[in-house]
Amino acid sequence: MDEDLPTEFDLVVVGTGFVESIVAAAASRIGKTVLHIDPNDFYGGTWASFNLDALQSFISSIAESPATDESKQFNSIKNASQIWHVTTPTATPADDAIPEGQEATEKIWTKENVLKEFRRFNVDLSPKLLFSCGKLVKLLISSNICRYAEFRAVDHVCTIINGQTRSVPCSRTDVFNTKDLSIVEKRLLMKLLTSCMGYDEHPEEFKDYEDKTFLEYLKSVKLTDNIIHCVLYSISMSNEQTSLKDGIDNTKKFLNSLGRYGNTPFLFPMYGCGEIPQCFCRLCAVFGGIYCLKRSVSNVSIADAKVDSIKCGNQDIKASNIVVGHGNILPDFSIPAGGTGVGKKCGGISRAIYITSSPLGAEELNSSGGGVNFLKLTDESGTGAFVLQLSHYSGTCPKGLYLIHISCSAKSNNPEADIKPYLDKLLTTDHPPAILYSIYFTIDACLRCTSGASITNDSLSNVFVCCGPSFELDYDESIDNAEGIFKKIYPEDEFLPRAPDPEEIVIGDEDPVSVADDVITLDSVKEQIMELEAGLLHQEDCMEENSRNEEMAMEVGEE
Amino acid sequence: MHGRLKVRTSAEEAARKKKEQEIKVKTYRAGMGRIFEKRKNGQLDDEMMQITGQILSRNPDVYTLWNIRKECILKMAESLGNEAKQSLYDKDLGFTEQCLMVNPKSYGAWHHRCWILENCPTPDWEREVALCNKYLKLDERNFHCWDYRRFVVKKAKVPAEDELKYCTEKIHKNFSNYSSWHYRSKLLPLLFPHETSPARPISESKLKEELEMVLTAAFTDPNDSSAWFYQRWLLGYSQPALDIAAIRISKNLAIASFSKPIDLRTCEIETNFGFNFNPDRWQPVQKGNKYDVAWIVEDSFELGASDLQQYIFKCRMSDGKDYAINLKKCSDGFYGMKCPKFEYEFGAAVIEELKNQLESCNQLLEYEPDSKWTLLTASLLMRAIDRRGYHTKSLEYLQKLEKIDYLRQGYYADLASKWAIEKVLEEWIEQGDLTVAIDLSNLNLATIFYEQYMSIAKIVILRNNCLSDRTATKFNAFQFCENLDASYNQFSTPGVIPHIPNLKVLSLEGNKFSNNATTRLEDQMKNL
Repeated sequence: MDEDLPTEFDLVVVGTGFVESIVAAAASRIGKTVLHIDPNDFYGGTWASFNLDALQSFISSIAESPATDESKQFNSIKNASQIWHVTTPTATPADDAIPEGQEATEKIWTKENVLKEFRRFNVDLSPKLLFSCGKLVKLLISSNICRYAEFRAVDHVCTIINGQTRSVPCSRTDVFNTKDLSIVEKRLLMKLLTSCMGYDEHPEEFKDYEDKTFLEYLKSVKLTDNIIHCVLYSISMSNEQTSLKDGIDNTKKFLNSLGRYGNTPFLFPMYGCGEIPQCFCRLCAVFGGIYCLKRSVSNVSIADAKVDSIKCGNQDIKASNIVVGHGNILPDFSIPAGGTGVGKKCGGISRAIYITSSPLGAEELNSSGGGVNFLKLTDESGTGAFVLQLSHYSGTCPKGLYLIHISCSAKSNNPEADIKPYLDKLLTTDHPPAILYSIYFTIDACLRCTSGASITNDSLSNVFVCCGPSFELDYDESIDNAEGIFKKIYPEDEFLPRAPDPEEIVIGDEDPVSVADDVITLDSVKEQIMELEAGLLHQEDCMEENSRNEEMAMEVGEE
Repeated sequence: MHGRLKVRTSAEEAARKKKEQEIKVKTYRAGMGRIFEKRKNGQLDDEMMQITGQILSRNPDVYTLWNIRKECILKMAESLGNEAKQSLYDKDLGFTEQCLMVNPKSYGAWHHRCWILENCPTPDWEREVALCNKYLKLDERNFHCWDYRRFVVKKAKVPAEDELKYCTEKIHKNFSNYSSWHYRSKLLPLLFPHETSPARPISESKLKEELEMVLTAAFTDPNDSSAWFYQRWLLGYSQPALDIAAIRISKNLAIASFSKPIDLRTCEIETNFGFNFNPDRWQPVQKGNKYDVAWIVEDSFELGASDLQQYIFKCRMSDGKDYAINLKKCSDGFYGMKCPKFEYEFGAAVIEELKNQLESCNQLLEYEPDSKWTLLTASLLMRAIDRRGYHTKSLEYLQKLEKIDYLRQGYYADLASKWAIEKVLEEWIEQGDLTVAIDLSNLNLATIFYEQYMSIAKIVILRNNCLSDRTATKFNAFQFCENLDASYNQFSTPGVIPHIPNLKVLSLEGNKFSNNATTRLEDQMKNL
């Protein structure tokens, strides 16, 4: 632990959240020396996943600390509260509590026996889904980082119609199998989806609706209310005000990701989204990045409007560039005042996490123990909420329990109040989830987004501040943020080129063009090869001659 | 660069790949050389198994090597007891599985598996069914595996119900699956045979369900043809059943025609009125055909000698079944004809379902009047519901389709010709008089169907249609025709009109012959 670190790095990264981990990996990948530290004793910062025990203490530690204390590392998360809705029953929970006819094996969940399984939980602070053909999946594949991660295809995209939770038929298979649509409706839905996909080739089909809303267009093609609901709210994740262009773009994004993995367009990382930043950290480490948790920067020395070196533990470390993650802050670092920020802000998310003993929706949405289901809810103001239900198949909770995550735009400092209208929608469905435990908190914007000033230009030219999670389903904005920072530091270099496979790696002094010796294993064949060698050489000469003649013949033919 | 990764450059990698490739080629050649040398010397031993194995595991498509392995195994098994024999076969079974990992669509590897299981002492068929499940999970459209599945399922005696359930699951997962629909069409007749008619593949109630399912698939993705083919099968638009079409025997010529092309020389013919037909004397109407729909014998027949209540012509065909037809006596011999089965006649419940489906199609046509597949389905449904009643309307839809979907214009024109001919032919057969003309004029015919049923007719009028040279060979069947009116069509080559022995009048005016051709035609006509 007390081992000395090297004293000079190309890049020092503080915080192990999503954005900063990508920057660290990208820098390490192009051969830069990287020191990646985190004041926390866990990876991921605002993007982390916790087991239930760690989650409880994490939430309590925030709830107990004053919100204004900026020395706290956790200031990216605030307004935290937690409550258990079940207590240890005073009477024996046993058999007599089970109503007649119910299966005796069905477990009665108490606070105690939920907590006993705390290790089986991986609860995300910032849960997200990946579009199967989205930016992150592309990045994971192109950079060859995907081999560090495992995913589960989301089972159902759901919606609530008239108080019923239903699966949205989004793929061809779903449309074929659903009993909710008549065959004419099926045809109309498929036709709509096809024409949305062909928007760029046949814009004339949409000409009359160019400056109208997507909803007006949907109504014009004689769709029934059921289909309009599914397409508008679930597939395009739009609302009544969304323009035709945006509605179609969203629909296309959804459809483009269909049919790649599983039955829906979404993937969820097994064991929680906290795995994703760690995949990038692993790549960074493979290329020589050095990792230290529970290390923070205690001092910085500044020269020529640059950070020259940092104090980490009792070492002074020179750094050419410094990247600071969401929820971290350098000592004596003043937050520039004023401004409302340019473009979209990160953070500003009200979050709720529920542990429930029953899933949302009927059996067919949760076959054989529950699915990983996604639900987009809308409200009058527009942005709506993302609801994610996770069953034990996702590796984030024990069997028989479910995690339900709700994220919405923060409207106040009271996340519970922000979430309430959405929770009420879930609770008034035909199969409401039975909540055992709930957590509420707010994810704040990063320093840069809060202050609105461009820190890099105004203060220190080699310090870069990363955004926190944005209110988006996938990671698109965060990837842009990471790539933008990387490009500012290393404008000439490629952002995360493909990482080599193990067989491409040269070990020790091995000849880089040597071929594995086990290609031929049989002595008799080896013998035969020796015999062939001589004859073969001759043959090759002849072949070359032949091909030369053929080439000439072709040239003549063309003339 | 301590602790840093060293990675091959792309040039180094390419050089390495090239070198590897060269070694592979060398090994392959050496291996093959060794194999043939050993085979020549009769050395079917362990080493042979090893070398063939090495090559096959990289490229499982070398048929020869699979066959050499079979020789090896048979020879090695000779001296072994049952248990040792089984383990020898099991080992090779494991090997084919390894090869299927490399190429799950290797004909050689799948076939070798069949061979092993049929030759080994104690085959485990259940295990094979499980293997199929595994491979079809990886690729539900691997028809090699579906094929193999049907083979092992029969051996494992898996109940057809289970297989149907499996098929249904696969279709629910992805209905774009010819193999699964096909298997379905084989299983349903076993499980749900038709209540009364053996000619109909499945029961009315099951048919209703199936129609519903397949239309759902077709409406979901009309561009997927697999569902359409299955729908055709359900509606009975598959190949016609084998049967006698028409018979005519006159003083010097006899003709026998059939619903499908057959080889009459392999059939046995029997009559109850003393006519014996030597199989060798039958000639196909289209010279050189091995299979043909119509066959003739030129001979002199004694007519009018017998006087029976019934004249029966019986033919035992290659399927081993007897097909019979009652002949009528007429002034110059005998004749008989059967009306072709154009469509199934459905029960009330199925008709109800078909009507609902037609209603759905019409509803859709309101939104999408030019939807080609809806138009086609609608016209097929109309014919299944009431062929005669919807005759004009279904032809109208086809005409519309010719315009909308002009790339398949020929297909629609042929289909329309078929339906138009069906109507005329049905009426002609019903009236039953040979001397009445078959009047197919002014029908926009692009081609001729059911020519074998017209083989006994005296007058065929094809005036004012769109027939062209490609259909002229169909005239071969008109062996008893005396008056053929093919005027005002699109024929352009005089030579294509075949020789018809009884022909007295041939009208070809208003076709597209050149002047030169017309002269030659006139010469030809003089010879009539």
